[in-house]
Amino acid sequence: MVVVDYELRKKVMDAHIHDALKYCYQCARCTDVCPVAKVTDQRYNPRPVIMNSFLGLNTFMGEKDNFSLWGCTICDTCDEVCPQKIELTEIFTVLKNMSIARGEGPDYYTTQASTIYDTGKAIPMQPAIERRRKDLGLPVIEPPDADEVKKLLNETKLNKILKK
Amino acid sequence: MAKTEEYKMFQGCTIGNRIPFLEASARKVFDKLGIKTSEAPFACCPDPVGFNSTDHLSWLAMGARNLTIAEDEGKDIISLCNGCFQTLKLVNKELIHDEHEKEKINAILKTIGREFKGTINVKHFVEVLYDIGADKIKENVVKELAGLKVACHTGCHYNRPSEIVQTDDPMKPIKLRGVVKATGAVPVDYEEEMLCCGAGVGNTEEEPAMQILNNKITSAMNAGAEAFIVNCPACFQQFDTNQKKAEKIAGKNFGIPVLYVTELLALAFGEKPDDLGLKFHRVRLSALLEKHGLS
Repeated sequence: MVVVDYELRKKVMDAHIHDALKYCYQCARCTDVCPVAKVTDQRYNPRPVIMNSFLGLNTFMGEKDNFSLWGCTICDTCDEVCPQKIELTEIFTVLKNMSIARGEGPDYYTTQASTIYDTGKAIPMQPAIERRRKDLGLPVIEPPDADEVKKLLNETKLNKILKK
Repeated sequence: MAKTEEYKMFQGCTIGNRIPFLEASARKVFDKLGIKTSEAPFACCPDPVGFNSTDHLSWLAMGARNLTIAEDEGKDIISLCNGCFQTLKLVNKELIHDEHEKEKINAILKTIGREFKGTINVKHFVEVLYDIGADKIKENVVKELAGLKVACHTGCHYNRPSEIVQTDDPMKPIKLRGVVKATGAVPVDYEEEMLCCGAGVGNTEEEPAMQILNNKITSAMNAGAEAFIVNCPACFQQFDTNQKKAEKIAGKNFGIPVLYVTELLALAFGEKPDDLGLKFHRVRLSALLEKHGLS
């Protein structure tokens, strides 16, 4: 049974674009241009994600790797064509953040965030790449202050989200 | 806003720490065109696809921290990557235009002794190349690439969301094409020019990503393109590294080479393929280079 999730609705309506969101008239221009909707027979479809999010109908939570949410390829094309100027991608970010906090996001995302938390980089430097850079005549990449990054990400409570 | 003679180089994790040959071409081209850069110990931008989807607040805070490193020197940032460009540009704009968000992020940055001021600008390298102008590029061309038909692919995060990043036209970008034309190469018109490379959804499921890639490659090849020209390392990896996977789904061989726009420029400026590390491309370039007298 689908029930109204007030926490979800509050989070969506607290996003600074909520004023525009109220005027979505479900014209489906977002669906028309969505490259993922096109190749998945609308298994991912931005229009109902927007509708359900402002109604507070939590149909994209409660399941890991839920494709109706995580199928978004973050191309921002829907934002460009929306006649009501809704920044759909921002709403999807709010929903994805909630999904991650519930432990339901694809592993790719938490693994990457964990690497960034530990090293300051999404892709840490490897000795083989250091040699290749030298061979190509490229300067050494100065490593980031990983302790400072960690301190910052503890302050934003990423450690709690990643259970570190 | 800073108006710098020298930019802070932001090559990003993918180019710097995984496929540095793209950076080699960029530096050679920048040297020829007089674009000066210097290094800084930047952290991950962080990734607008992965990290922002994970936690928006952490994304803002880390992006702001990187911006403060450039602010300390009063220099603008030049990004070699769409993802880094979009993150840094969006964070910069959001914090400059939203006092409440700026206060919130500065309270967090204070714990590491930093403060976001909003005093610098973030540039995509294609914008910088375009602003330098076709004439200056042409002056450096020693091997005109006349007759080389290419499919330009700017990628999504180069110019969207357009109201905020304002790099180029969001649905009909002209700057990459302008830079490419200055080498003599001919950008073809193809139906799926604005289609995403599919990398984002690939983090969740591979098959839809490869179908999108298949649509993209098929459209470009049908229009007569001999190579893709890209300006984003994520798109580059999708077209080059993952082309074999797309071939499997399509049930046919594409074998269409992929060049970073700086590789195209470097070749036109007379650089040797070996010095550019072109051997590290997955899709072989030898036939293309030979055909156009570049090998």
